[in-house]
Amino acid sequence: MAGETQERLGELESLTRDYARYSRSAGGLASVLGGICCLLSYLLGGLLPMTPTLRVVLVALPLVWLLARWGMARRYYQRFGHVEEQESAVERRTHRLGLGVTLAVAVLLTASALSNGAQLSPGSAGYLALLWLLALAVWRWLRSPLDFVVGAFLFCQASLLCVDRVYPVIGTAAAQDALLMALLALLFPLAALLLIARGVADHRRFLQLRERLLRLRDAAVGGT
Amino acid sequence: MSAPSRIGEVMALDRLVHEPARLLILAVLANAKEVEFGFLEQVSGLSKGNLSSHMSKLEAGGLIEVKKSFRGKRPLTELRITAAGRKALADYRQSLAMVMQELPVPGAAVKRK
Repeated sequence: MAGETQERLGELESLTRDYARYSRSAGGLASVLGGICCLLSYLLGGLLPMTPTLRVVLVALPLVWLLARWGMARRYYQRFGHVEEQESAVERRTHRLGLGVTLAVAVLLTASALSNGAQLSPGSAGYLALLWLLALAVWRWLRSPLDFVVGAFLFCQASLLCVDRVYPVIGTAAAQDALLMALLALLFPLAALLLIARGVADHRRFLQLRERLLRLRDAAVGGT
Repeated sequence: MSAPSRIGEVMALDRLVHEPARLLILAVLANAKEVEFGFLEQVSGLSKGNLSSHMSKLEAGGLIEVKKSFRGKRPLTELRITAAGRKALADYRQSLAMVMQELPVPGAAVKRK
């Protein structure tokens, strides 16, 4: 009897931990969408001639992704009720480091832009606003390293677009002028591919988790 | 170990935690930062009233915190375990494991006869 109770508690504990991941660290299909957004932003921004429509679409991508991520967590992955994941000490430190770096960059660039004394152009104001939005997104949503890298790219690409620039893609004329930046920017599509793979794995895990939850619920209803 | 001391150990188990429904609530809460009432209701199979009654006892004992608010027009109840709740659960598990270790195995007793 005690063994049965322990077994049921153990199952319930592991189920709660797995389910809670979808509040924070596991994005599932939202991670897949984030990876696709990142690839689109990198390739379309670097390869296509910039039009006003394309610019609006690329600037909107990070916001669309965050909105979709929030909505999917609430409406799909946590439809059995919201369960907030516990952070480990390592995760908390990594998150604080990412937030610290983002805030430091935002403060430095804002100070640099304001110290010139000249009035900010609308483009520069947009650039700075998106950097501060990135800091907000890192604080609230971008908690895993992959989410951070992909989210940072999407916001940075959007802010660069406000001042008529983009991350260069290897093989283009822009990359010849900024080869180091083009090589560094290769990190982003790679992170996007990893995020897509992780999203697919998380989604499959969720489907199994949902089965476990439904079985548990049916057993509970049958038992009462 | 003598029978009276075993009985003493069993009696020493925290009654507030020992009740199966409350043990289940604490076990779920110990594995998340915050849990919505609806999730507990689904996984425990308890009725709303029963769950609320156990929640109130745990809250009164200082083992959990209950936060009530609204999401839009819908009432929202969120629960989290306190540090005292975590300690009570860990102590309970340790005590139970000790009691279980000391209990004679029924099959073994039959063999000796």
